[in-house]
Amino acid sequence: MSPDPGPHVGRFHPFTPLVLTLCVAVLAVAAPGPKTAAALYTTTVVAVFLGGVGRAALRALIPLAPLWFFLFLLHGVLGDGDQVVILGLSLSREGLAAAVTQACRLGAIATASLTLYASFSPARFVDAVADRGWSFSTAYLVVATLLALPRFRARALAIIDAQRSRGLRLRGSPLNRVRAIGPVTFPLLLGALAEVDERGYALETRCASGVVHRTPLDPPLDRVGDRAIRWLAGAGAVAVLLWRVFG
Amino acid sequence: MSALLFKGAGFTYPGAPSPALRDCVLHADAGSITWLTGALGAGTSTALLLAAGLAPRHTGGERTGTVLTLGVDPALPSSGAALGGRVALVLPSPATQLSGIAETVFQEVAFAPANLGWPRARITARVSDALTALAISHLANREPGTLSGGEMQRAVIASMLVLEPDLWLLDEPTSALDTAGRALVHALLRREAVRGAAVVVASEDTDGLHQVADRLVVFADGCPVLDGPPQEVLRGERVWEAGAASTAIAGLARAAGNAAPRPLTVDEGVARWAR
Repeated sequence: MSPDPGPHVGRFHPFTPLVLTLCVAVLAVAAPGPKTAAALYTTTVVAVFLGGVGRAALRALIPLAPLWFFLFLLHGVLGDGDQVVILGLSLSREGLAAAVTQACRLGAIATASLTLYASFSPARFVDAVADRGWSFSTAYLVVATLLALPRFRARALAIIDAQRSRGLRLRGSPLNRVRAIGPVTFPLLLGALAEVDERGYALETRCASGVVHRTPLDPPLDRVGDRAIRWLAGAGAVAVLLWRVFG
Repeated sequence: MSALLFKGAGFTYPGAPSPALRDCVLHADAGSITWLTGALGAGTSTALLLAAGLAPRHTGGERTGTVLTLGVDPALPSSGAALGGRVALVLPSPATQLSGIAETVFQEVAFAPANLGWPRARITARVSDALTALAISHLANREPGTLSGGEMQRAVIASMLVLEPDLWLLDEPTSALDTAGRALVHALLRREAVRGAAVVVASEDTDGLHQVADRLVVFADGCPVLDGPPQEVLRGERVWEAGAASTAIAGLARAAGNAAPRPLTVDEGVARWAR
């Protein structure tokens, strides 16, 4: 009775994408220069496309594009040092290198995180945690946090629709938009608080507090390949971190 | 021994100027359906929260008097172990009662038994039975968040039925259901009572429940003011004086100036007015 695990990345053990994302974040922070940062970003994007969730890499571009632009402006255009002319623009050579490094670091982290988010299966993750005999409340906290965003978004859209049907104008002048903040925000927050209460009641009566050992309904397979990937990625990330700190 | 016992029970929500429940004496026995009704704010929902132990443990506030649920004070922190899986609580908004982590209705219904550590084979068998009882077996692989309100309410009730509870506490359990769904839930509650469970329903579904419930308790201003067989209580005038309502036909008879005892169903109304 499990849902289709979806893209290739969804067929991994749930801990594998989680560990890979953490390793990408560590490697991104540790990347010493533009070449290594660019290599890491490229590898991440290729891996994401091969994993069948290329859309996550494309979605990552939405928050990344303005950040990249400001990095280019801050370091490339306004940076000091040797200048180089590209397409008629005089740019700082060192600033460009710093901008590329930061842009690729952010790109790798955002792409890996959105991929994890896109491929995350709450039930498989909880089953994996239960299968190890680990804390259910911690697993629930992780899952609830990851799922809070889409739930909040759905509620916000419902409130916007309801308020628009009552004549609230959300478009037009900046004044209209500012006026709309209150009628949208207050019901959203109050509704969320009420939902937290009722969900707490429901979880309590469904024995979610004080779980001693939860039965995994469909424990995901932890194949040799999964374990190897996690150990290699973890060891690699730790090695690079140690090299950067002590090397 | 009563499955649920209130002796002079009262409850005041945090910051509330007056108690939501006061000096309440109430009992619900195994094998029977006790139906609580009253005007908005009469205290029936609070009584259920008190019985489940959620008030005051989750809500905060102050409780007075004695409350015993299956012989245990549900307000005690240690009551969770004694009552876990034995008390079913169904609240009016099905969407807020989903676990939030299930990807299928099957997983949703299996949430509580899995938390209790039941063996997988037992979980699978009980979940299948519960889905069949609520006529939602065909939805087993659907994502709970995509269900209609009625389907979701059935799934929530199934997620409690799976536990075979000793005490049911239901607050407007048919609020999102159509006529067929209400009839199905009423029949299910009767079967649960026959099985030996105590069923307590807080509802304004007067037209449906008066034929199912064994006892009707009418609340007003935070305490029970009427207690008796529904067929008897609903025919009288005092139920209206308490701010509650009787069936639509009894309401029609009252509006037409008919004195109590009034007819409760269409058939009774026809029989009365055809004379």
